[in-house]
Amino acid sequence: MRTRLRVVLLSGLLGAAAMFAAGWSAAGDAAGAETAAAADESPAPPPPPPPPVPKKTETPGKSPDAPPKAAPAPPPPPPPPPATKPSEKPAPKAPAAPETKAPASPAAKALAKPGERGQPRPNQCLTCHAEHAEPRLRVTESDMAGDVHWQKGLRCVDCHGGDPAWEEARGAHAEEDGFRRLRSDSDLTKPPDPVRVVELCGDCHANIERMRPFNPSPRTDQLREYWTSGHGRRLKESADPAVATCVSCHAKPHGTAADPGKHGVLAVADLNSPVYPKNVAKTCATCHADAKLMAGRQYHGRPIGHQQYDEWSRSVHAETLLKKGDLSAPTCNDCHGNHGALPPDVDSVANACGTCHGKIAGLFATTRMKHAFERVGLPGCATCHGAHDIRHATIDMLGMHDGAVCVGCHDKGRHGATVAGGEAARKFRNDLDGLRRAIEEAEAKIEEAERLGMAIPGPRSDPRADARMYLRKAGDALTAARVEIHGFAAAPVEKVLAAGRETVAEVQESAESAIRQHHARRIWLAASLVPILLVIVVLVLYIRTLPPVPLAAQDRTPGNP
Amino acid sequence: MSLAALDSPPNRPRWTARLKEFLIDRLGLETFAELAAKKRVPIHRSTVFYFLGGMALFLFGIQVVTGILLSLYYKPSPDQAFESVRAIMTEIEYGWLIRSIHSWSANLLIGVLYLHLLTTFIMRAYRRPREFTWITGLVLLAMFLAFGFSGYLLPWNQLAFFATKVGTDITGGVPLVGESMLLLARSGEEVTGDTLARFYSLHVVILPLAVLAVLGVHLYLVQKHGMSVPDAAARRYGGPEHVPSMPFVPHFLLRDMVGWYVALGLLAALAALFPWELGTKADPFGAAPEGIKPEWYFLFMFATLEQTPSHVFGLENKQAVVLFFSLVGLVVLAVPFLDRRADRGGPRPALSFLATWAVFAFVVQTAVGLGLLHFGLSVSVFVSGALAIAFRLLMLWWCALDRRRMSA
Repeated sequence: MRTRLRVVLLSGLLGAAAMFAAGWSAAGDAAGAETAAAADESPAPPPPPPPPVPKKTETPGKSPDAPPKAAPAPPPPPPPPPATKPSEKPAPKAPAAPETKAPASPAAKALAKPGERGQPRPNQCLTCHAEHAEPRLRVTESDMAGDVHWQKGLRCVDCHGGDPAWEEARGAHAEEDGFRRLRSDSDLTKPPDPVRVVELCGDCHANIERMRPFNPSPRTDQLREYWTSGHGRRLKESADPAVATCVSCHAKPHGTAADPGKHGVLAVADLNSPVYPKNVAKTCATCHADAKLMAGRQYHGRPIGHQQYDEWSRSVHAETLLKKGDLSAPTCNDCHGNHGALPPDVDSVANACGTCHGKIAGLFATTRMKHAFERVGLPGCATCHGAHDIRHATIDMLGMHDGAVCVGCHDKGRHGATVAGGEAARKFRNDLDGLRRAIEEAEAKIEEAERLGMAIPGPRSDPRADARMYLRKAGDALTAARVEIHGFAAAPVEKVLAAGRETVAEVQESAESAIRQHHARRIWLAASLVPILLVIVVLVLYIRTLPPVPLAAQDRTPGNP
Repeated sequence: MSLAALDSPPNRPRWTARLKEFLIDRLGLETFAELAAKKRVPIHRSTVFYFLGGMALFLFGIQVVTGILLSLYYKPSPDQAFESVRAIMTEIEYGWLIRSIHSWSANLLIGVLYLHLLTTFIMRAYRRPREFTWITGLVLLAMFLAFGFSGYLLPWNQLAFFATKVGTDITGGVPLVGESMLLLARSGEEVTGDTLARFYSLHVVILPLAVLAVLGVHLYLVQKHGMSVPDAAARRYGGPEHVPSMPFVPHFLLRDMVGWYVALGLLAALAALFPWELGTKADPFGAAPEGIKPEWYFLFMFATLEQTPSHVFGLENKQAVVLFFSLVGLVVLAVPFLDRRADRGGPRPALSFLATWAVFAFVVQTAVGLGLLHFGLSVSVFVSGALAIAFRLLMLWWCALDRRRMSA
């Protein structure tokens, strides 16, 4: 019984993903997919034919004693034709998304149908859908091969409902069998109703009972988050058919470029998943870099724009993530959220950055600068570092020279910036430059000593330390000082810099002592060579005093007695 | 004052005579005194070659003394080895001098041994009855090469770590027993702290004991058979017994000492001007340093391995190279038995040519290993062969001139 329940829950899960795949384009330009295409093959279906002879496939290997499937033997009648042409239909009302009542999930239904689980069930869905005329509805088994739901044993029916045993569309898509329509009408030229897509996924993914069999501690807050996201809000407010839903980001298109279907939800950890960290930005860019799609769209009265991906691609974050392969480097969702994606507000930008740059954010939060920024509507960190095009922060950003970020406000008194602040920035810059130069000089000394072949003794405070390694402490102090700058207070910066200068001085002293010792060794060498030479001279002189060697041997074998 | 005291020579303290008598009585020193008094060294144009053995012995003595001093501070564990050598170089008084002399002396010693081998071959000093002197000498050379290889790892720096990795990899190329030898050398599949402990034990216990034993036999044989006289000198004076000679003590010994003091001065200069560098601590997970090479005395083998195609006659290049040098080693070992005309002083053209070729090949391949030459294997073989032929022709011409001069 437990196994049966598990399979049922699984089928619900899979069904959700597979349903998303039913053909909704992330770009929003594709018509929605409606798996319930059976009766909807044409916008205005002909009058229903006489009830077909049922062609229900027998369950292979099914025991004759097995209880019959809940579906009745005669095929369900086809849905009645629409009363009006789709074009004549009234414009769809904006759905009250969270309140929309989706049909009971197939998984839920399956739970109520005991006696069938554990039995192999026929799946005739792909028989038709593998050769479907509509590209987005054309789904083959290979499209589903990598799908995480499919791999766990869930099949089409588990998301889309209906009766997969039918070889005939109307029978398979009977609502009596729990078939879930993803559109409110039968117009296949339109994308599926995004609300229904989201609710379909949420049926399982927002239900701890259904998710637990697959993961002891699953997340089930994605749907709730989604409705708070920019995407969810817009969907709720305007029923925008182009708004991103679950499948927009998680599923892979299998149709054509113009008419992509969306099936095949890969695990997030899968390198090919659209939401794998390295792919997230590109996935977001599918819509957000589309100038046509983004034209006219606004957030808080400001245009959303479409340059974010280009800007991010030039950033230090993109370089770290894509070139260095550091998956902890931030991509879109790390600052904006993923399911609850929303741009941070002006006063919460520092909190978003602080997710990773916690120390800096903590320092900045205590400064008067933060409040001054908020007062004039400057977005915290982004004011100096940029929003998406965040370059590698260097000392060159600091100061009152051309190219420094401080000069923009403190030179002209913009946003109430003061001249004293500019002077402070200039002093910070000089102090940091001073430590940087000192470190470079110490490195040069170390190199000189090493070039002479000298091993440099450790500094006084740590005689066993390697000088080069020890000098890293000064580099760390420089970095720490650059961090402390964000507190906009002189004393902490000076304290860190003083420690760095002390470290440099110690290393320099060690390197210089090594160089001095090298010179001393030459003197030592000269001093030692003199006695050696003297001994040699004495030996040679003594050899000369020895009796001369006879020119020929006498009566003995040379060399040996 | 006693009568005995009155009888003693006025310019010699009485206690020294008594001490001498005491020692002679108890230690049998008269045997050594007689040996020293009778031992003579032939004088001919190649007499200078006789200094090489003594020089090698002196450098070995330096190695023993400096090695013992280093062992007082060295700590053979991967966590402490590098730091301890670093402390020797920077904290211990004159530690830098001791370590540098130890390293330089090791290199000079190998060089002197190579020359000693070559000059012994040139003088045909391996002739009957000195076959075992030759063999023990070669065994000593192999042991000192092992000394160099095992000592190279002890500072546990990056270069030594990876050079040992490459070197022991080559050991693994020995056919049939290679894998076992590799495991034996590394004490596992990888170079680890166990390898360091093993190399340390080899360097300071096993090899010194073995060298002392073989060296004892070698020196005994040298004393027993005396100094070999080259054919040319023997012919010149009408037989080896007519070749002029000098007493070993003090004539030759004092000259030997001059050489030792020169070597000492050279070592001091090298240690002071070119201290043996320490490098960076070994990081087993780090990348191998660029252009990793073994010590110069292994470079000829390393270069040959680099030049050899991946497979030769169905063997991996490592196996082929190890097999080749093992065969060369066996041939060199068997030289006293291959030179069948040695007793009669007859010519040995094939051996001489092969030896000349080997020497030029050693030089060319070492240059290739150092990156001074960029030859492929076939070019190296051809160039060294051509140089060997040219050298032999030059020697023939020189000998002809010499003979003409002698007859005139």
